[in-house]
Amino acid sequence: MPIYHLFITALILVSTLPPLTVLGQATCTGVLTGRIVGQDNGQPLPGATVYLRERQTGAITDTVGTYRVTPLCPGTYTLTIEYIGYKTLTVPATVGADSLTTLATIRLVPDNHTLQEVVVTEHRSEAQKLLQVQAGLSGNALNATRGQSLGESLKTLPGLYSIQTGPSISKPVIHGLYSNRIITLNNGVRQEDQQWGTEHAPQIDPFLATRITVIKGAAGIRYGSDAIGGVILIEPAAMPTVTGLGGELNLVGATNGRQQTASGLLEQALGGPLKGLSWRVQGTLRKVGYARTPNYFLENSSYRETNYSAGLNYTRQNVGIDLFYSQFATRIGLFRGAQVGSLSDFYAAIARPEPLRQPGFSYALDRPYQDVQHDLFRLRAFVRSDRWGTLTATVARQQNVRQEYDLLSFSRSTDPELYLKLVTHTADLVWEHAPVPAKNGGRWTGSAGFSGITQGNVRRFLFLIPNFRNYGAGLFGIERYARGRWTVEGGLRYDYRWLRAYFLDEVTDRVTNKTRDWQNVMGSLGATVQLTPELALTGTFSTAWRAPNVSDLYSDGLHQSAVAYERGNPTLNPEYAYNTNLNVEYNRNRLHVDLGLYNNRINNYIYLKPDSVPIVRQRGAFPAYTYNQVLATFRGVDATIQYKLLPRLTLISKTSLLFAYDHTNNDYLVYIPPNRTDNSLRYDFIGTDASLSRRVSGLYISANVLYVARQNRAPAVSERQENGQLIFTGDFAPPPPAYTLVGAEAGMRWQVAGHPLSIILTGSNLLNRAYRDYLDRFRYFADEPARNIMLKLRMPLGQRKS
Amino acid sequence: MQPVQKSSLLFLLAVGLLAGACKKDEQNVDPTDDNEAITTATLSLTNTAVPSEVVSGTIENLNTSANVTSATLNLKANTTYNGSIMLLDKTKTPTVDATEEIREKTNEHLFVYTYAPTGTTTSALSVTITDRDSNPSPGPYPVGLTTRMQTGATAGAGSLRVVLRHQPNSKNGTETPGSSDLDTKFPVVIK
Repeated sequence: MPIYHLFITALILVSTLPPLTVLGQATCTGVLTGRIVGQDNGQPLPGATVYLRERQTGAITDTVGTYRVTPLCPGTYTLTIEYIGYKTLTVPATVGADSLTTLATIRLVPDNHTLQEVVVTEHRSEAQKLLQVQAGLSGNALNATRGQSLGESLKTLPGLYSIQTGPSISKPVIHGLYSNRIITLNNGVRQEDQQWGTEHAPQIDPFLATRITVIKGAAGIRYGSDAIGGVILIEPAAMPTVTGLGGELNLVGATNGRQQTASGLLEQALGGPLKGLSWRVQGTLRKVGYARTPNYFLENSSYRETNYSAGLNYTRQNVGIDLFYSQFATRIGLFRGAQVGSLSDFYAAIARPEPLRQPGFSYALDRPYQDVQHDLFRLRAFVRSDRWGTLTATVARQQNVRQEYDLLSFSRSTDPELYLKLVTHTADLVWEHAPVPAKNGGRWTGSAGFSGITQGNVRRFLFLIPNFRNYGAGLFGIERYARGRWTVEGGLRYDYRWLRAYFLDEVTDRVTNKTRDWQNVMGSLGATVQLTPELALTGTFSTAWRAPNVSDLYSDGLHQSAVAYERGNPTLNPEYAYNTNLNVEYNRNRLHVDLGLYNNRINNYIYLKPDSVPIVRQRGAFPAYTYNQVLATFRGVDATIQYKLLPRLTLISKTSLLFAYDHTNNDYLVYIPPNRTDNSLRYDFIGTDASLSRRVSGLYISANVLYVARQNRAPAVSERQENGQLIFTGDFAPPPPAYTLVGAEAGMRWQVAGHPLSIILTGSNLLNRAYRDYLDRFRYFADEPARNIMLKLRMPLGQRKS
Repeated sequence: MQPVQKSSLLFLLAVGLLAGACKKDEQNVDPTDDNEAITTATLSLTNTAVPSEVVSGTIENLNTSANVTSATLNLKANTTYNGSIMLLDKTKTPTVDATEEIREKTNEHLFVYTYAPTGTTTSALSVTITDRDSNPSPGPYPVGLTTRMQTGATAGAGSLRVVLRHQPNSKNGTETPGSSDLDTKFPVVIK
């Protein structure tokens, strides 16, 4: 099929190249249009080919899945529609005497046998109708990451990294930015779970998603003002529409940490008088023990997760309503060798080549640990009309309860050291207008909306951030014009943020408060042009801003795990980002190149600046840090190159380069991801199914070599004595050396009792190298995990075959 | 157009309900509470020759900015004292005696006492730990809740550094394992 597909694509591209005049067609001006969507999720399929057999011509669907074939004479034609990962469909079409014939929306059925194709990156993914650089994980690429945390899974995409706190906590990093500079949308709702902490991983069950999309760069127009680094969308499959019961069972086992994970899903679309009603329940259980480095186990690095969710959906013709509830509960152990009482302990620990205590394997989980529960309730409703478009309203309530338990020395207390309860209410109203055709053949699409948020935070025990209440409101509009080879998009958004923090004066026992508010307008402009059939160029420029959050402004406390006393700065101003992206995509025969360049200039970039005087407390001296603002730039290159060496052998090369700089102090920034390149060879046993077994399909094997450079652009590590006090600049220890890791993956589909059982085996750090990673906050104390072999099984049940 | 209006109404209703459901919990602020705060350290030294002669020094506010106004230990030269240390957490009501809790877990705690004379003076104070934990062989190891302190012949000033090490499952009689729960200094004057 691929060759046939390429042939048709080439034909269509040649035939649409302007100007093209064929004798005898001058009198016919009929236009045939329509829309192609995926039957599985209802999302438009941009880039699908529509071929008219009788005319030997066709079209390619645009960014919203719409195709347009012209000029046509009245008559009956046969349309062949093709899209990678979906079954080819042939339908008849009659073009009448009218100038415009619109066909009913065509729904393509997913094809199980082609899911193994390496479809990892995809630009201008129109699921979100945004002209911005995107990357995504879905299908087999997503299944291969099962059993890993969200932060770990995303690291396979160029431009994405993760900042870690030992093997159990991993936070996604986009183009060098993380925490509050990234918005995570969990099933359409902005996830609010105390993201300011570098040791606070997002509380999301990756098994919820059938697709994870990452928008790289400032994407605040649609999703809110804070997204100066990017947006991560966790997208579950659309609710089932075909009557019947279905489900899915996932099992994951791993050698390192002896992970045991089971995730199940059950769903049903009802028929008869209840047609349009569907439900789904889903749950995940996970248990992981001590991680092993090549030479020792990491004591207490175990974690557990218990997640479940339930959804109920009713869709009838042009209206729909759905309810969703999910709970994510985790207990995460922190490596005990990283627990230090004071700076001198910290230095003693850094000086040790290996942790002092090296117990054997265990699933035990004791202090220090984090206990976090995140509950999400969401109600969404929509109405759709051909004339007015679609109006969607979403309201949600989230509750995040985080309890952090430190190692206790003598106390008999069972209380945590830190307790934070954050309750968030959000409301969003989005109107997507019906496409408006322009007189010159172009097409306008767009949306406008309102979003509101309020949060209340309550703390107990130690003080790190204060109690607060905040309100936020935003208004936005995005409009896009597409004509021929050009698509242009512009957006505008206004936001207002209000924050009041509450403090207790422990002497007078009176509560005082501080209030701040901010407002701003931001905009974005982008264009994409298909220069030649092989070459597409996309350029975007966007501005975004982020109001300082409560931890930037008012944190005041000893961050024991970071060995730092962190002080907020109540006078901070918002960060303003100016983000430019340029993307080149080239496809020709066996070569696919995807090159992205970005430059993100951030005024008032907020970071922790070391103070000159350390803080002395009962346990000794700690370096102190205060939040400060500088002008920073983040520029870099994300490159993906795929080349089919042989029909079955593909070379895949992914490289991410990042250069960040602090222009105010003329110095480098701390915790910037080092450059990396991941090169793999993949062999697909396409067409050899028969020789293997009738029951085995989609067999592939791949091997990869990941090279991560040493971060040489880090602030110099220095300490000096001043008035008898130690003063630090930069970091506590220089960045660790570069490392190279070898990994492998194999997968196939095996027919068991009529169900396609997907089996994926992955291996990481196969050569068992001892290494440390610059972005791991526990790099001062211990090595990264050793070899890990993971087995991932996935069995669709009943209706759910994709 | 009608369904649109209906939906808007429903939306506004839902927003109202959710907004009304907010409680003002955040306006009741809890005081800061540390499970393991040590606010006060008292070192009491009894002259072994004259048991009625007791010298004591107390450091207050250790968990914030230490107050050493009544912390100085005025000792006699060439004298042996029996020492005992007491740690309190006055942030709790009633006050928590942390020494009691440490006494229950002596197998994972060790006090380390180090005397350093000021400047170039040569005054000396030698500290011997007199209590033992119940760790199995090669233990038991010293604890340091009680000590014997012997001053040297030279008069002078210095400071006595007291470090409490927490060494769960790793105590071996040395200072190295574990982490510090307390690290403070008592000024000392030897006459």
